[in-house]
Amino acid sequence: MQTKKFKISIILVVIILSIILAANSKNFTSPLRIKIIDVLSPLLKSVHSCYSLVGRAMPFKSLREESRILRARIEMMNRKIEEMKVLSEENDRLKTLLDFKKTIPFATIPAQVIGRDSTNWSNSIIINKGLIQRVSRNRAVISTKGLVGRLVEVGRYSSKILLITDPNSRVGVLIQRNRQGGILVGRPDGKCKMIYISLDSDTAVGDKVISAGFGSIFPKDILVGEVIKVGKEPGRLYKYAIVKPSEDMSRLGEVLCIR
Amino acid sequence: MYKISRAAIYFTLLAAFIIEGSVLNHIRIFGAAPDLVLIIVIFFGSFLGGAAGLEAGIFAGILRDIFAFDFFGINMFVLGITGLVVGGLNTKFSRDSQLTQVILVFLFTVFSLLMHFGIVSMFSSFTSLGLGEYFMISVLPVSIYTTLISIPVFSQLIRIFNLKMPEEFI
Repeated sequence: MQTKKFKISIILVVIILSIILAANSKNFTSPLRIKIIDVLSPLLKSVHSCYSLVGRAMPFKSLREESRILRARIEMMNRKIEEMKVLSEENDRLKTLLDFKKTIPFATIPAQVIGRDSTNWSNSIIINKGLIQRVSRNRAVISTKGLVGRLVEVGRYSSKILLITDPNSRVGVLIQRNRQGGILVGRPDGKCKMIYISLDSDTAVGDKVISAGFGSIFPKDILVGEVIKVGKEPGRLYKYAIVKPSEDMSRLGEVLCIR
Repeated sequence: MYKISRAAIYFTLLAAFIIEGSVLNHIRIFGAAPDLVLIIVIFFGSFLGGAAGLEAGIFAGILRDIFAFDFFGINMFVLGITGLVVGGLNTKFSRDSQLTQVILVFLFTVFSLLMHFGIVSMFSSFTSLGLGEYFMISVLPVSIYTTLISIPVFSQLIRIFNLKMPEEFI
């Protein structure tokens, strides 16, 4: 019985002491607490590190998803860069065309090539300009490099150009150096043949060929191409020259239609 | 007898026409581009017979005539006749042999190009191109190029249309 009373007394004393300590604790408990915290800090850091690691590891699934999205975005950006490159090249070409347009003495209408004849015999292209844009039939078509052909069929919104490399094409031309005249006809292999060159002419490989300006279709002095071969066909009273057009007809993108 | 739907024939020809006008025009060798449409017409003629060859040739020819500057109908005529003749001869040779296919394409490319030249020479008032020169600068390179391209094209078309020789004939 006495033992029981003793235990109760001790508990009461402890409680009272605790209350007294708590009431005057600031100067005493704070340094103690910080000391304990200091001692425990390595442990706390380790625990926090572990927690952070787990925290970072938990959303791995969402990271993968994010990575997938980012990869898709990179692909999209790459595609856009490629598109930009194409646009930039087109822009350069159009700028060149515009600069060239300013230098030529006649009014022109710029047009884009939207189709081409695919056969090996004929050579014609289709452009995106027609009657609406005041394009008219039998007018010359040029590019920044030289003569391209003439408009043979004109629709409301599109037109067909007969290239100088078409076997049906005939253009009056001159050799620039010696003013030797002739007629330029197309060949199926993408080159042209200048015929009716007089036998005593000194036309040679490398001579520039320009339009003569005879007739009403082609203006004079437009560069047509360069002589790559000169010859004489047996039984004919004239020489011929094979002319490589100054413009690569298979890669034409934009042209200028002379009004 | 092999069977291919009419819609598939027209679609194949249209696709060939587009590819020819866009991609193949940029890969010319010595100024020659492979004649993909002609390969397809020869293919349909040799596997489906003269009537189908003629029909395919006429359809392909109309497409070409629309875009070409030559007088309207020349391509229709040339390709139609080519398809018809190939189809008419299709029982005379083994169309499943790759060697036969190659020879067939070469000969009929030469045939169609010479026919084209003959018709143009007949109707054109002014032709500066001689037959010999035309043969050397156009017929020969185009025929060789077309023949080479026809090898993968034929095998792909056989695979796409599932044209295998029936068991009883093997």
